[in-house]
Amino acid sequence: MGHLIILALVLPLLAGVFTMIQSRQKPIRFINLLGSLLLSAVLLSLVQQVAKNGTIHVGQFYIDALSAILLLVVAVLTCTANLFSLSYMQKEITDGHISLTMLKRYYGLLNLFVFTMLCVPLVENMGILWVAVEATTLSSALLVAFYFDRAALEAAWKYVMVCTVGICLALLGTILLYYAQVNADLGGEGQALSWLAMQAVSEQLDPGMIKLAFVFILIGYGTKAGLAPMHTWLPDAHSQAPSPVSGLLSGALLSCALYGIIRMVIIVKGAVGPAFPEQFLIGFGLLSIFIAVPFILVQHDLKRLLAYSSIEHMGLITLGLGLGTPLALYGALLHIVNHAVTKSALFYLAGAIIQHYGTKHILRIRGLVSAMPVMGTMFVAAILAIAGLPPFSIFYSKLAIVWAAFQSSNYLLGALILLLMAAVFAGMIYYTLKLGFGKVPGKVHDNYQLGKPAMTAVSFSMLLMVAGGIYLPSWLDTLLIQAAAIIGGVQ
Amino acid sequence: MLIIILLFLAILLSRVTSLKTAVNILLFQSVLVALACAFVAAETGEMHTYIAAALTLIIKAGLIPYALFRIVRMLRREREANPIISPNHSVMVAGIMVVLAYSLIDKALPGIVSRDALAAAVAMMLIGLTLIMTRRQAVLQIVGLITMENGLYLVGLSVTKGLPLIIELGVFLDVLVAVVVLVILTYRLKRSFLSTDTSMLKKLKG
Repeated sequence: MGHLIILALVLPLLAGVFTMIQSRQKPIRFINLLGSLLLSAVLLSLVQQVAKNGTIHVGQFYIDALSAILLLVVAVLTCTANLFSLSYMQKEITDGHISLTMLKRYYGLLNLFVFTMLCVPLVENMGILWVAVEATTLSSALLVAFYFDRAALEAAWKYVMVCTVGICLALLGTILLYYAQVNADLGGEGQALSWLAMQAVSEQLDPGMIKLAFVFILIGYGTKAGLAPMHTWLPDAHSQAPSPVSGLLSGALLSCALYGIIRMVIIVKGAVGPAFPEQFLIGFGLLSIFIAVPFILVQHDLKRLLAYSSIEHMGLITLGLGLGTPLALYGALLHIVNHAVTKSALFYLAGAIIQHYGTKHILRIRGLVSAMPVMGTMFVAAILAIAGLPPFSIFYSKLAIVWAAFQSSNYLLGALILLLMAAVFAGMIYYTLKLGFGKVPGKVHDNYQLGKPAMTAVSFSMLLMVAGGIYLPSWLDTLLIQAAAIIGGVQ
Repeated sequence: MLIIILLFLAILLSRVTSLKTAVNILLFQSVLVALACAFVAAETGEMHTYIAAALTLIIKAGLIPYALFRIVRMLRREREANPIISPNHSVMVAGIMVVLAYSLIDKALPGIVSRDALAAAVAMMLIGLTLIMTRRQAVLQIVGLITMENGLYLVGLSVTKGLPLIIELGVFLDVLVAVVVLVILTYRLKRSFLSTDTSMLKKLKG
């Protein structure tokens, strides 16, 4: 299996290098398309291997059911993001927004970003995990600042500053974790900060130190995952990045940061029992949903609306993790997958809409369904999906989490989530009606054609959304159950 | 002795308003951190700590100040005009941070051998953090970030004699890339806003 993992890591780097040495548009497009398709194929085969034969552990790499789910997300999203980038960037070039040098830089950075994001679920060591998470911030920072206009610079500056400070706290947590491991005399040769080694002996670690480490790591990675109140950078960065990148940031990167927290939670559960981490997770999760609601209800920028919805969904996932019952964990993990697919599709569609209308302002976008019939309809459907309407897949994972809340007799909590979700739903529907229908503004012509690759990407995501609501493949089900068992610990 | 100088530098850093002086102090601070790392290496006699010390010297006292000096030369007119907390108050805040650090360490880790070093390291982190929060100049924020990172590095050094080498390497790489990214952004800020005062970055809201 080792060669497949190496291949998966090398592919984006190769694609990036080849992009940088090309001087014409066509080969650049071709290389990136080929690279991303190959990468997705390799990742999917890795995921299948894990589903069939159990965990893979080669050297520093470790893939269990939990990391396989993250890999699945990254596999699907790199593929769709690359496909969508083809058309999106083509239009940016024809419209004269960017030059060929910028295109090269875009693809180079995109590949680097994908590479760093892949490292996060692949590595086994908590220290290297930290390095990988910080690397994702840095590689995506210049993508956020891609257009180098004032707003993009502001977003990128806040992004790097807030996330780097946050991630420094996570490093402090990691150091404390290492201290706990060394103190318990478990830091044998090559075992330092190894997740497997620590998880195996977690009950011998000093509880006080582990608690301290957990709080720092939760705040650190929580900043990156967009949990309130450390979420302030998120709407800026996600709204200013080029749309394909926003999709990746929202769908894949936030979940990668959560993955870091999940790995830590497993160790903490072993050391001090489940009650301590769970109260934090529920608290942060609830606060995130709570803070996102007013911004969703009163919003003027299309992409910011989606960004705040991401905060809400990350909160929901964290809450699910905090509830800790097998059903809740299953729902939270499924929600990671569903949210990634739906939100990335929404960001892609929003990108196309913004290109077509030439504005991000919600009030200036009218009559989507008549101006761009296919895309508009898809956008309305996807918004309904993200708001949690059946038969789309998100409905089921949301249902699982809320159900789990009631099942574990957290009635008040369950009712509160339902209430907040109803508010979000109302906001989303309100904007959908405004955006989707009404009179098309005069200057917008109505025969809109999106490039074929982008159409493929968005249709594929829509297909997954609808299909995921009706049918869950058995291998994914197995993976989710196994991953939930890994987080829940063997009761 | 080292600790006292380090703390003094951190407090001094909270006073300066000139960008160039700040980078100079940072350079000196990084050299001291490398020195501390070398002491630990001599004490334990482990090869990888020597490598870490050498890397600290090259990256934090070489490449990073070099990148910062380059950008500072471009920003000759820039200085911290009206910080959120005035220099005099900053020093007081820095002093409070030192006291806070000591009391935190005594409470969280009573009886640890390297009490002073650890407290100084935590104090440096806190001072770095306050610098980031209270300074408006982009370069001073970067300096605050590296001060925080240096403090963090000292924490690692004093509680566990440093992290395993491969992780250490990754951390160095990340810090270096972070500074490069921030310098690029600062340069672009200067070009777009004609200033590197980050208090102008307040358009994105709601």
